[in-house]
Amino acid sequence: MKRRDFLKTSVVAGAALSLNFDGLQAALSSNTIAVEAAPELVAVMGGEPQVMLSKALETLGGIGNYVKKGQKVVVKPNIGWDRAPDLAGNTNPELIKALVKGCLDAGASKVTVFDNTCDNWQKCYQSSGIADAVKTAGGLIVPANDEKYYKEVALPKGVKLKSAKIHEALLEADVWFNVPVLKNHGGAKLSCAMKNYMGIVWDRRFFHSNNLQQCIADICTWDKKPALNIVDAYRMMHQNGPQGKSAADVATIKSLIASTNIVAVDTAALGLFNQVKKLDINAVGHIGLGERLKLGTTDLDKVTIKRIKV
Amino acid sequence: MKRRANYLKGLRVLLAILFFIPILLFFIDFDSKLPDSFHSLLHLQIIPAILGLSFGILAFQLVLVLLFGRIYCSTVCPAGVFQDIINRLFCIGKKKRKGSMRFKYSKPFNLFRYLLASVTLLLAIVGFTELLVWLDPYSNFGRMATNLFRPVVVWGNNMIATILMGMDNYTLHHVTLKTITAAGLIAGGLALLTFVVMTVLRGRFFCNTLCPVGAILSLISKYALFRISFNKSVCNSCGNCERTCKAEAIDSKQMTVDTSRCVDCFNCTSSCVKESLKYRFNPVFKKEKPEEAPLLPSSSNLSYEVNSRRLFLATGATVAITLPVVSVLAKKTQTEADAKEETGERWGPVTPPGSIGLKRFKDKCTGCHICVVKCPTQVLRPAGLEYGLGYMLRPYVSYKSSYCNYECTICSDVCPNHAIMPLTAEQKKTTQVGIATFVIDRCIVYTEGTDCGACSEHCPTQAVHMIPYEGTLTIPKIEPELCIGCGGCESICPVNPLRAIRIKANVTHQFVELPPEEEVKDVVIDDFGF
Repeated sequence: MKRRDFLKTSVVAGAALSLNFDGLQAALSSNTIAVEAAPELVAVMGGEPQVMLSKALETLGGIGNYVKKGQKVVVKPNIGWDRAPDLAGNTNPELIKALVKGCLDAGASKVTVFDNTCDNWQKCYQSSGIADAVKTAGGLIVPANDEKYYKEVALPKGVKLKSAKIHEALLEADVWFNVPVLKNHGGAKLSCAMKNYMGIVWDRRFFHSNNLQQCIADICTWDKKPALNIVDAYRMMHQNGPQGKSAADVATIKSLIASTNIVAVDTAALGLFNQVKKLDINAVGHIGLGERLKLGTTDLDKVTIKRIKV
Repeated sequence: MKRRANYLKGLRVLLAILFFIPILLFFIDFDSKLPDSFHSLLHLQIIPAILGLSFGILAFQLVLVLLFGRIYCSTVCPAGVFQDIINRLFCIGKKKRKGSMRFKYSKPFNLFRYLLASVTLLLAIVGFTELLVWLDPYSNFGRMATNLFRPVVVWGNNMIATILMGMDNYTLHHVTLKTITAAGLIAGGLALLTFVVMTVLRGRFFCNTLCPVGAILSLISKYALFRISFNKSVCNSCGNCERTCKAEAIDSKQMTVDTSRCVDCFNCTSSCVKESLKYRFNPVFKKEKPEEAPLLPSSSNLSYEVNSRRLFLATGATVAITLPVVSVLAKKTQTEADAKEETGERWGPVTPPGSIGLKRFKDKCTGCHICVVKCPTQVLRPAGLEYGLGYMLRPYVSYKSSYCNYECTICSDVCPNHAIMPLTAEQKKTTQVGIATFVIDRCIVYTEGTDCGACSEHCPTQAVHMIPYEGTLTIPKIEPELCIGCGGCESICPVNPLRAIRIKANVTHQFVELPPEEEVKDVVIDDFGF
């Protein structure tokens, strides 16, 4: 007991120390003093996407914590399917609009958005509402439909996937945000933050033929980690994913989860998902494999979480 | 010498530009920037109109020819205009005698051309479109544009796109063409070679020997009310007109114009200093005065006309008599092929939704490849010999790296032959062009024991869905009554080279119900669940 207590205390103390440091920086840059230490994971429920986003960012110390003046930013949503926003096949365009705008307001020199889509890319960009959202916000939506846009990157920590071709916009970026939509998935079982990485690579077929769950975990070991994983669960596809057939596949649960800890964010998202459809975490193999690769923890008790209801 | 303005030629060139440029752009429009309505220009083409049974257009064309002659060949037909462009380019920097005035009268190859045209058309009627595929001017132009000109434009686009991308400008994007096949390239190359060689050597030789449209129009145009003709009293047989005639139809010695071969380019009228040669209202029934037209037994224009008509009818009759034999043979080979395809000995091509069935599609399609150009997922590709000689150059649905978009009906909208019949979005979603077949022995989940599900992921109707397998693994299962054969599953299946899930073509397309509508349930949660 004593040892556990000691460990617990030291972990919390360690976390608190580092977070206090972050808080100090935020305080210096924004001239406000954070009243409490920023949590590791924020979950917001009950508001419109842009409202939940601003609540989450506020709790985490403001977007200035992640985006500095003059930086090149990439926002990577899921735009996989030729589907309208209400069918929840893609990330919510309102969320993307708000995030792109937030980055630009924070002084980003440019904000680029792309996804290696499954359906025809132009149709996906259009039907998802994301192309328009990005343009309205002043960002740049770029094609990802050709191998030409990708460059080989080594993944030394990968088990099965030792290298992958990644979109050059992301290679050039100083900061990136991983902004998946939470949904059911026929192959990976759950599609969330880790699964969203598949849209930054060119050859997805390799994943499927070389242990899909392992490859998903492997690609997440890439050195350049997202500044934040922001899970859109405003509308959630709970069946027939990832493409979905109709509105019957969608539950409007008006939620959003944000964290740098990608394994924790997916574990938390699964908790959300489980309230609508039962899904065993062991079936979503990549979450556990991610933990084994030290990408984060599935033990949410070890994570400081702030839950906010709007 | 002052030359009068040649308004007719100007009008002809203007019309040619108005038809040719949009058609050309439509064929090289690799990114579907142009409105789909441009396809109406393709419906005006005569062979498509015949195969598509567009009687209104055919009647219109008939009236046009009866009134004005073969103006079609110099304006509407993109292959005709293309030959004029080659001719124009060839003449640049050349002396007149070597360039624009290099032609001389030649006798028509009536026996050959009417025979060829009748055989081609009659065979097409009984379902052998092979000859027509190779001879139809519009389709030949389409294949050149699709397989030769379009790649050049795409290449240019990619160059500029790369430069712009460096400046953070993404108005253009890089495009990789997946639809250029060897067969398409060869067919396009052959068409280009034929047009260039024939035009350089003999002007509109293609149009007056090989072209079936030219032959049909010839039969009518010789009765055209307006035609080029000589005023023999003022002509001094200088021969200028003869040398400008790309159709080699003017005999300046005899002062005759073979109206059946004249394509109404009006180059001759401005070359006539004496103003003898003019486009006049000059119907056949208006008898020429005997003193102006001394009947020369050696070469009578009239005897040609009679001959050609007799010839066409005689050939037609002969071919018609042999038809039953040919069609029996055709049916025999056809049923043999079908039988093979049905027993699964050999899988036939998947034909585009709207084509109704393999046989009908083969009979109607002349391989112009406009559907190949317009398909946004590049799933349609021109066939080589993989499905036999009979299917060559027709597009087939190739699931090698892409699939047929669930919501898209563009190929059926643009097909001028109605080889692919127009479909509504709902009809498209219920047309089953083939059925997914699953071979578990090849499936990753079975062979590797790992998750995959790529096939089900891409299935728009969830005809391919995942069912519990071992442990937490799931494996695909197919509901054939939901499958429309879009190939989403096959295109993404990671198993190489032979995929675990493949679309088996329906020789005749079937129809399925739309996936059942599920009730939308209100889900309310007010807890995070973690």
